[in-house]
Amino acid sequence: MNAPDLMDLKLVVPEMMLTGAALVLILLARRIRKANVVAAGTVVAAVAAALAAAPIGWVFSGVAATGFSDMIIVDGYSQFFKVLIAAALALTVLLSVKRAPGVVDRATDPDAPGPSADGETGVVNTGPGNDTEDVRPAEYHALLLLASTGMMFAVSALDLLTLYLGLELMTLCSYILVGITVNSSASNEAAIKYFLLGSFASALLLYGISLTYGVTGATGFEAIASAVSGDGAGTDRMIWVAMGLLGAGLAFKVAAFPFHAWAPDAYQGATAPVAAFLAAASKAAGLAALGRVCLVAFEGQSGVLSMGLAGLAGLSIVVGSIMAVSQSDMKRLLAYSSIAHAGYALLGLVSGTPAGATATMTYAFLYVFMTLGAFGVVIALGERGEKLDGYHGLAAQRPGTAALMLLFLLSLTGIPPTAGFAAKFIVILSAVRSGHFALAVLAVLCSVVTAFVYLRVVVLMYMKEPREAAPSRFPVAVGTALALSALVTIIAGIFPDLLAPWAVAPGK
Amino acid sequence: MTEIPVLTAMTFLPLVGAVAILLFRSERTARWIALGMSLATLAVSLPLYRYFDKGSSDLQFVEHAVWLKDWNIAYQMGVDGISLPFIFLAAVLTVLCVSVSWTAVRTRVPEFYAALLLAETAMIGLFAAANLFLFFIFWELMVVPLFLLIGVWGGPARVHAAVKFLLFTLAGSVLMLVAMITLYSEFGTLDFKELVGQKMGIELQGWLFVAFLAAFAVKVPMFPVHTWLPDAHTEAPTAGSVILAGVLLKMGAYGFLRVSLPILPDAVQMFVTPMLVLSVVAIVYGAYVTLMQTDVKRLIAYSSVSHMGFVTLGIFTLNSRGVEGAILQMINHGIISAALFLCVGMIYERTHTREIKDYGGLAKVAPVYSTFLALFCLAAAGFPGLNSFVGEFLIIGGAFETNTWLGGMAVWGVALGTTYLVWLFYRMVMGDVNPGLEGLKLELGVREIATLAPLAFVAVYLGVYPDCVLSYLHETVDALLVAGGTAS
Repeated sequence: MNAPDLMDLKLVVPEMMLTGAALVLILLARRIRKANVVAAGTVVAAVAAALAAAPIGWVFSGVAATGFSDMIIVDGYSQFFKVLIAAALALTVLLSVKRAPGVVDRATDPDAPGPSADGETGVVNTGPGNDTEDVRPAEYHALLLLASTGMMFAVSALDLLTLYLGLELMTLCSYILVGITVNSSASNEAAIKYFLLGSFASALLLYGISLTYGVTGATGFEAIASAVSGDGAGTDRMIWVAMGLLGAGLAFKVAAFPFHAWAPDAYQGATAPVAAFLAAASKAAGLAALGRVCLVAFEGQSGVLSMGLAGLAGLSIVVGSIMAVSQSDMKRLLAYSSIAHAGYALLGLVSGTPAGATATMTYAFLYVFMTLGAFGVVIALGERGEKLDGYHGLAAQRPGTAALMLLFLLSLTGIPPTAGFAAKFIVILSAVRSGHFALAVLAVLCSVVTAFVYLRVVVLMYMKEPREAAPSRFPVAVGTALALSALVTIIAGIFPDLLAPWAVAPGK
Repeated sequence: MTEIPVLTAMTFLPLVGAVAILLFRSERTARWIALGMSLATLAVSLPLYRYFDKGSSDLQFVEHAVWLKDWNIAYQMGVDGISLPFIFLAAVLTVLCVSVSWTAVRTRVPEFYAALLLAETAMIGLFAAANLFLFFIFWELMVVPLFLLIGVWGGPARVHAAVKFLLFTLAGSVLMLVAMITLYSEFGTLDFKELVGQKMGIELQGWLFVAFLAAFAVKVPMFPVHTWLPDAHTEAPTAGSVILAGVLLKMGAYGFLRVSLPILPDAVQMFVTPMLVLSVVAIVYGAYVTLMQTDVKRLIAYSSVSHMGFVTLGIFTLNSRGVEGAILQMINHGIISAALFLCVGMIYERTHTREIKDYGGLAKVAPVYSTFLALFCLAAAGFPGLNSFVGEFLIIGGAFETNTWLGGMAVWGVALGTTYLVWLFYRMVMGDVNPGLEGLKLELGVREIATLAPLAFVAVYLGVYPDCVLSYLHETVDALLVAGGTAS
């Protein structure tokens, strides 16, 4: 191993930006009291990171640069996802403004104490009418920044160890984010469940890594690839076990069946912005990691991989769609729908070809914006948005918000001309091209089931009478995030090939 | 040919109107914008009929713009003899829908007109699309406004009807999506013209035919998958029923003509017998079920099942007489069923009942209304001199050419159709005035007469001079049947 070259640091500029911002926030946590300042700073850091990642992605779209003794790779694939992660981070921060962390849901926590006495800790002030505030804005945003840093490392990883470190950084921050409203028992419960299952999955992932090392003698993707593609007949079975364990660990991050059980609980217990962040960014990062592992490290085993992924994808779609039907909690409903969408996104990887990987990339990209949009409406409606019943008669009270929700739900259903249709078209095309007709038909038939799920919300919004008073106005930042998501959803729906030049599959 | 992109203008003018309506959010302006935009759309379409070259089977008024370059999918619009009459139908019916809803719709008026105009965009775009990708986009787009029209402004059971409608159509169209993607991955293009004559194995063709059939059969609707129709048509507001019966049902049959027949000729030959049998079942079964209805709107809705059976029967006779008759009959049915729904909607606005037994003796209190109803009932029954007669005559002629039994069953269907229509008319219009109707002002107003008069005129005009539609069809239908014949 060579000594690390300082010039390699230029490969991780976006990550350094986010880490730096997080450190600044943590150091100044006691001094900053205004949540808006923190939020603005975080958005600036995210945008800067995106800008830093984007041109490199452009330049490197053909050639890749590796560094840190081949632990990190910067190529079109990694930069595509880095920009996406930074965008998801920025949108999440916008969605977190004011309402976000810390509004204790009185319905789920009747014992919440009255207005907190600790005024000196720089709590978020959500204006009159809100009770306990227990989230320090600096810490909340620092955790978001660090989680994003972890995701960026994971998508850049060219070694199972870097991959593991990146994903663990992401998950550890996520555990805390889910439980960040310390006074809410629902949130604590969700965090514990998430933590227990998550540790289990991390253990599987680590076990898979060590088995892979045992069989191939390497943890670097390229070394694994050359070892796996050889004719080591005796080791084949063991490498399948290793792949299975790795796949299980990664499927957990993506929330694909049967490693999905944490998602509904975690999303429901977490605040809506955190749930949005998990559903969008961490799923994208998981897909990216899975994509590179499948396409680069284990390309030699693509037959087995394809079967396994087809199973994961098909089951996720079926289970996610069907389980979503009976949900009455909006975040839980979106959690199951995100499980189904994980399955759709995996359809691209099933083919095991670069074209399939680009399909998954495109799906992940578009999915992030539509799901953030849907969560955004949930956030914009405050407490009312969390229950399905809260949507009664929304169109009569807030026609604009209802129309946005309609747009995002149509997009999630896959109705043209929205981004969701483009995304679905691309992944099903990929499945059909690789000959998985049955899987494609299963996927589209399940999209009718998911259509029914989203339709219930539309029916409530448009075809029922209001039951509650109109929700209060949401902050401008939330509106901005909604508008941006809507814009991407519409533009990508009308020009679905806009992403094509940037969606570059990982190569060797 | 004109320089103006007529088809694009027609397709997106209503969309502009819809956006404007949503921006203004005022009831009064919404109505006027909707009327203005739908009339403008109709006006823009006039050059189409004037400059259309009837001697050519090619797409005309073709527009081509680079769209999805990497995917080899372009923005292509164009009309031929088959699609042109439907564009006219969609444009006319939208104007009438705006008019009939003027006082009938009182809640959320801006949204209603925006949805109606969005539906017009989808309808015209569908018939003007020159590639399967655009066709599919408009096909799916059509579902959304209609779902809202039924579910928000419909009758008591509207939510159930709307959800049923959407799930049925979506279940069909997702299979079409897979079929479309399969075609695309096989041939790398979705241009209708380039897809015609591609070499395809019979097995692949068969599967594709079935997948497309799922989408088209639901829309038509053909016999076993027709159950969404009575609910949707009955619960929809009048404008929604008119759009559903007048145009949406034609989309499925149009799909057969645009996709199945030319692109999958071998599969069509393979499936022709079951398709003919299903059509005849729809005609006869639909007619018997119609006879039993006690709800006026439901009765007309069920009659559509029977009448659309004639259309699919005509299409799958695969001879020029049958196919031309089918297309003519689609236009006829679009006009007549729309007119009947308008009639029912107008009387319902006054009486708030759809039960036939609550009516009676309308002739005495509403003579003008009764005259219109009589005309449209006769037209629907296929009375000579009115428009349906020619269409049914051609279809039955084509059916006899294919198989005597088919022709016989079709004639039986016509007889049943006359029965239920005459009986409906008898129960509603003849006899003594129903005491429940005393004191209601049932006669039509000027706006309503102006809404029905154009349809009455077209019904008579097409009955006397069917060639004004048929002349557009000859070349295109011949080319269609040749394309289907040579490739097989």
